[in-house]
Amino acid sequence: MHHVLVVGAGTMGSVHARSFARMENVKLAGIVDIRANIVGPLAESLQTQAFASYEEAMAALERVDIVDICLPTDLHKTYVLKAAAAGKHVICEKPLAGNLADAQEMIDFCRERNVKLFVGHVLRFFPEYVQAKRLVDSGAIGEVAMVNTFRGGIFPTAWKDWYADVKISGGLILDMIIHDFDFLRWCFGEVERVYAKSMIGRTFARMEYALVSLRFANGVIAHIEGSWAHQGFSMKFELAGKKGVIDYDSRAASPVVSTLRKQEAGQGGVAVPESPLRESPYFLELQHFLAAIERETEPLVTPEDAYKAMEIALAALKSIETGKPVSLAHSAGKGGDC
Amino acid sequence: MKVGIISFAHMHAHSYAQAIQELEGVELAGIYDDDPERGQKAAARYQTTFYSSYQELLASEIDAVIVTSENASHREHVVACAAAGKHVLCEKPLATTAEDAEAMIQACREHQVILQTAFPVRYNTAILRAKAYMEEGKLGRIIAMKGTNRGKNPGGWFVDPQKSGGGAVIDHTVHVVDIMRWFLGAEVAEVYAEVGYQLASEIPIDDCGLITMEFNNGVFATLDCSWSRNQSYPTWGDVTLEIVGTDGTLKIDAFAQKLDVYSNDSGHIYAYWGDDMDQQLVHDFLDSVRKNEQPKITGEDGLRALEVALAAYQSARELEPVRIEKSQA
Ligand SMILES: NC(=O)c1ccc[n+]([C@@H]2O[C@H](COP(=O)([O-])OP(=O)(O)OC[C@H]3O[C@@H](n4cnc5c(N)ncnc54)[C@H](O)[C@@H]3O)[C@@H](O)[C@H]2O)c1
Repeated sequence: MHHVLVVGAGTMGSVHARSFARMENVKLAGIVDIRANIVGPLAESLQTQAFASYEEAMAALERVDIVDICLPTDLHKTYVLKAAAAGKHVICEKPLAGNLADAQEMIDFCRERNVKLFVGHVLRFFPEYVQAKRLVDSGAIGEVAMVNTFRGGIFPTAWKDWYADVKISGGLILDMIIHDFDFLRWCFGEVERVYAKSMIGRTFARMEYALVSLRFANGVIAHIEGSWAHQGFSMKFELAGKKGVIDYDSRAASPVVSTLRKQEAGQGGVAVPESPLRESPYFLELQHFLAAIERETEPLVTPEDAYKAMEIALAALKSIETGKPVSLAHSAGKGGDC
Repeated sequence: MKVGIISFAHMHAHSYAQAIQELEGVELAGIYDDDPERGQKAAARYQTTFYSSYQELLASEIDAVIVTSENASHREHVVACAAAGKHVLCEKPLATTAEDAEAMIQACREHQVILQTAFPVRYNTAILRAKAYMEEGKLGRIIAMKGTNRGKNPGGWFVDPQKSGGGAVIDHTVHVVDIMRWFLGAEVAEVYAEVGYQLASEIPIDDCGLITMEFNNGVFATLDCSWSRNQSYPTWGDVTLEIVGTDGTLKIDAFAQKLDVYSNDSGHIYAYWGDDMDQQLVHDFLDSVRKNEQPKITGEDGLRALEVALAAYQSARELEPVRIEKSQA
């Protein structure tokens, strides 16, 4: 039985807590959030304890094996280090940190403390992405040369509007399309060159839009489009190879779409697409992390992968700032496992 | 009105010939082709005269010429048309070098004939609707554009740089760059490109391209100009644009008006039922000829788009963004 403490009861924290609550090999020991009105009802519905701070939870709970950090990105480091210092395995939402030095310190410290560090690059558990990679690996479309991806929707709303502060969240590129960077790196290996443009510094409107150009060491060219300027979340990818094309659009792959006649919380007349799955990708991801602890195996997403995805995102931000392409050296020593 | 066609090297010659046949009061009066077999076949198909030299065609009683020869031959043919006093509609890309394009523009100006670049996408009804929508101002200030003009590798002379000037980048950059310039009323100031030579197995040619642009009004844009549709892809390719403004977004798929056909003979194919843009292009060109007025799309428009494609090749070579120095024309 894994005793898990979830820290943060916002969007991600509640998804994680609900997943853990359904797992037979997990005891959801507690949920932490500074907002009592959020964490109280969530803990109650999942029949676990609510805490106002991490320290309070750790003092009160008899046993915690895993700490799952679902806090705003700028708080990841503080709590990852605390949990590792206490000898707990750590699950941390992506991006691992806001800068590479912090990420490296977190990775090194977890290794030093001999605890596992898992980072929530959940796209590797989305069946459509898994399927696409499997098809590419099996040669179904031949050698891939050209890739286009999209991820986006409306500007995210969260506690204290922390996504709007680039210093805290890293903005669209570090927070959101880092998912695609990780997925593409998983499929095509290391990135050699990054060039990007975005709205940063161009307008004060509450929106963001970024167009990133990646060149992989194996020659693949990838175009990553990210948006916090569109209505309704969607994601897309198109992989073009010598023998064929794989095309995915989450809007076209929604088997259940409801549209209500009656206005309901401003939703009237709006089509709500759903892609129901027996197990959510988040559930599968967390289960996989637990299995990696039980079996002492390498997880599908290593801390090094999380570091490398950040490296691509930060290179894109640097390119936006300088107007120049940024080359990534394939430094083998960076990242590493813990 | 009598119109001639110089060369059926480019497959668009056929849709232009059909457009001419469908127009009232217009006659396809003659065809020249340096490949006599191809030329004679076309002449028979469109019931017109085949000329074995373009000088002969240009000496005949024609008012205008459509030039659909290999890209690298455009200059020779367009300059000859101008010297003979014939108005010209020239297939895109206007030329393979800025110098050639300038010479063509200069020659047509000197002899006071119309030079129109064949950018049919400007006549696509969905594109026209999108332009009108943008002019209503509902999108607010335009921030960014993302375009695609993907296609299949056409093979033949298109993959011989001596004749084509290059592959996908020169072939597929110019259409959407022209639309972006037209929509924004602005010029491309800087170009960065990743160019790939990876899809074709037999003859290596640039068949993948991702171009990032900065316009002189602060708008940024990208364009995927790759020949990345495989042979069994349900259609020839696409023209799409995503436009992001401060007050909204606009999504354009210029050829979305289609049927999905599933056939045991041909697999899954798209059957397009939207308006014919080539027909409108030819119609509008001949209208300008008739009224003897400036064409809606000029030789300069062709040159500006070509400059972006050439800058893309330079950027890919140098791994640096390239500033566009406007050529004089
Ligand atoms: N993998 C994914 O698909 C995905 C999706 C969304 C968010 N995320 C990531 O998850 C993390 C959390 O994002 P979110 O959208 O859930 O944010 P959120 O704002 O919804 O939740 C954060 C919560 O942390 C609480 N909090 C703040 N400081 C605290 C502290 N010191 N102690 C305890 N609680 C505290 C806030 O009250 C809030 O409820 C971010 O790193 C984000 O990038 C990942």
